[in-house]
Amino acid sequence: MKKSFKSILLDNSVPIMFVIICAICIPLSGFSPTYLINEIITRLGRNAFLILSLLIPIMAGMGLNFGMTLGAMAAEIALIFVSDWQIWGIPGVVLAMIVSIPISVFLGWMCGTLLNMAKGREMVTSYIISYFLNGVYQLVVLYMMGPIIPIKHSSIKLPRGYGIRNTVSLLNMRQCLDNAWAIRIQGVKIPILTLCIIALMCLIIVWFRRTKLGQDMRAVGQDMEVARSAGIAVERTRIISIIISTVLAGFGMVIYLQNMGNISTYASHSQIGMFCIAALLVGGASVDKASIGNVFLGVILFHLMFIVAPKAGAVITGDSMIGEYFRVFVSYAVITVALIMYETKKRNQKSNAARQLQLDQEAEEAA
Amino acid sequence: MEETKTITFTDKIKGWAHSFGLPRLIIAGFLLVLFIAAPIVGADFWMQVTNTINRFSWNAIMVLAMVPMVHSGCGLNFGLPLGIISGLLGATLSIEFGFHGFMSFVMAIIIATPFAIIFGWIYGQLLNKIKGGEMMIATYVGFSSVSFMCMMWLLLPYKSPNMVWGLAGKGLRTTISLEGYYDKALANILQINIGKLSIPTGAILFFALLAFLMWAFLHTKTGTAMTAVGSNPVFAKAAGINIDRTRTLSVIISTWLAAIGILVYEQGFGFIQLYMAPFYMAMPAVSAILIGGASVNKASITNVIIGTILFQGIVTMTPTVMNNMVHMDMSEVIRMIASNGMILYALTRKSEA
Amino acid sequence: MKRSLIAKICTVVVILGIAACMFVIGRGHTVYFDAKEIEYNGETLEPGYRTAIFVNGERVARLSAGDRGMATWIGQNFKMTVEVTPEKGAEAVSHEVSLKLPYNMDGIVLNVPALLAGAPEEVYLSEFVSLATEVSSGDEEIVTDDFGIGGDI
Repeated sequence: MKKSFKSILLDNSVPIMFVIICAICIPLSGFSPTYLINEIITRLGRNAFLILSLLIPIMAGMGLNFGMTLGAMAAEIALIFVSDWQIWGIPGVVLAMIVSIPISVFLGWMCGTLLNMAKGREMVTSYIISYFLNGVYQLVVLYMMGPIIPIKHSSIKLPRGYGIRNTVSLLNMRQCLDNAWAIRIQGVKIPILTLCIIALMCLIIVWFRRTKLGQDMRAVGQDMEVARSAGIAVERTRIISIIISTVLAGFGMVIYLQNMGNISTYASHSQIGMFCIAALLVGGASVDKASIGNVFLGVILFHLMFIVAPKAGAVITGDSMIGEYFRVFVSYAVITVALIMYETKKRNQKSNAARQLQLDQEAEEAA
Repeated sequence: MEETKTITFTDKIKGWAHSFGLPRLIIAGFLLVLFIAAPIVGADFWMQVTNTINRFSWNAIMVLAMVPMVHSGCGLNFGLPLGIISGLLGATLSIEFGFHGFMSFVMAIIIATPFAIIFGWIYGQLLNKIKGGEMMIATYVGFSSVSFMCMMWLLLPYKSPNMVWGLAGKGLRTTISLEGYYDKALANILQINIGKLSIPTGAILFFALLAFLMWAFLHTKTGTAMTAVGSNPVFAKAAGINIDRTRTLSVIISTWLAAIGILVYEQGFGFIQLYMAPFYMAMPAVSAILIGGASVNKASITNVIIGTILFQGIVTMTPTVMNNMVHMDMSEVIRMIASNGMILYALTRKSEA
Repeated sequence: MKRSLIAKICTVVVILGIAACMFVIGRGHTVYFDAKEIEYNGETLEPGYRTAIFVNGERVARLSAGDRGMATWIGQNFKMTVEVTPEKGAEAVSHEVSLKLPYNMDGIVLNVPALLAGAPEEVYLSEFVSLATEVSSGDEEIVTDDFGIGGDI
């Protein structure tokens, strides 16, 4: 019993660490509980869908999908079009989601195919893919939009005639989902519609795990060779899991950006993958195992840290930049630690299996 | 008769192109086009050559830092920022302790060395625990250390008025000028000027020295053992080589070279860049060595030299040629696509065992 | 196999249908209201002393003669209530107005007196052309990457 308590503690070391960090920083920051709850709920609505998109590749054994940035880029391109077409409000959000689908599917298919060529180092490859495609994205958005891809409105285009401005305003669809059925309880705004969409997505994921495809993915995630011999099209399944993840990331990014109210054309997507992955890991997920619970715990803890760190850092050291750097450092450190834990675990399992094999052989020889 | 001949000829070309690698071919061809186009569009040819040579001398050592870890089978060192941080510590401390001129460069190297060894040793121990997943973790070790040092640059009690923020009197600036310290410390040694062409002989000789030492080291007993660990760990173990120790050694050497590399970069560039600047510095170095013909598990000094020339050539040539030609500066985007595309190509290729 | 293909095609068609639907119902317009006098059929139509415009039950503009007000509207079937007070102190007269907004115009100027007098569309409706379209401050610097520092997520 005692041992199991210890192992529970060990398994949840990251969330526990974050609870401690938050417990120290909250009083120091001096934010009121209402403010914090308000912020957390806003951020839950803003980020949860994005983070949910990470779950499916983990299920398929492809690790943390650093390529979710691809979906974010697709969503940004879709939103640029939609705001150029002047489609506003919820129809605009829906249209942006639909427009992002073909782009996401194409990018996801490409990413999945490349990852199949780099089995065993999916994560670093998906990470480089996101950089590579960031270059392609800039090529498209900064040089092709205008002369090649028609963009009409000068409020979006750079004065020089090609390329998109640094920020594209989404004023006409700003928080349209969040405000649709919003209710206020003692000054805390609860975006019911957004939360409903997120809840629906959770249900879909739960359902998806039970479908044939979901089962296949889990089998592939457990052991590719076994799955192959069981007649599962391994490569295809892996590509599908990345495509689904990319499409969901695109939807998530649309939700995220309608809440933010503007697109930072060249910066919005670049760090989003890192922060989402960090949040998921803070929620207690690991590279090979993640649940819906991890998503929500992660959003709450990570964003609580994110909100209070700059203020707390300023109080402790007298310099507000410290807190800003601190939260970036924590994001990276969390990912680093999780990756190290995963790799050591994998290695231990491997050596245990080897030892077991040796023992079996010895037993056989003795018999 | 003629038909078979053509087939063998194209086959030959195909085979050659295959062994050379298509992306490499494209990049080399692209650079060639740039060099031809430069005078046509009115860019100063010798100026371009000078810039390319200069940038080669700044960056080559950081590319050289990739070699030992590739040899010992640790893959591409995406954790280069860790070594860079050791170098930055050496640089800032050297200035803090009041050294000037060329002496500040020597002291920077001397101070950076213990940091590089300690960081490299820890980093090496870590990488030994996670064999097989080195590259991803290396990337994140680099990122974590850079963002950790961001806090440290603000908090460490530096005093030198040339380095700290003027108003607050504490916390290092984001860029620190090296004038009066080791600006062009190596480049000015034996500098050759022929018309518009100028060659930073000292810096190139310094790189040549390190490259030669690396080459010589790889031919010593320890060096060959390192290659054995990388190419065939089972055999190496059977031959009685201590794998973990050899790998750690390679990581330490790589980290140290990165520290020296950033110092040489700074003496050419003229500034120390702190905070987030080292963040993405691993990417150009990694893609340079890959462009030079290295793969995830094979790299030589020749790869370093060719790769750095090609990569830096493209980096210097594209903006000027592009600007003169179409009046848009697409260089940043092209560099991003080319360098990351190169890394992607190397990662997705079946690694030859 | 065939059935799943049909299902796939149906899904795509339905999604495209939704997209087309969104194009129609989501088109946003900025509507400007001019309470200005206008020549029509040789007579001059005068705006009232005060004109109040209600869109979706919210008062978006309260205009004196010669003023211009503004509202945003999603879709083409534009509805508003105009309350005109002809003279100071007089009783306000309320008019329900609904009209079709042309799809291809971002900004639309409505002349309220002409609209209330029942003039044809080309009289009361015109496209809004922004005069100060470009407050061009040269090329803006493209910020490609912040490291997630100082940004909000």
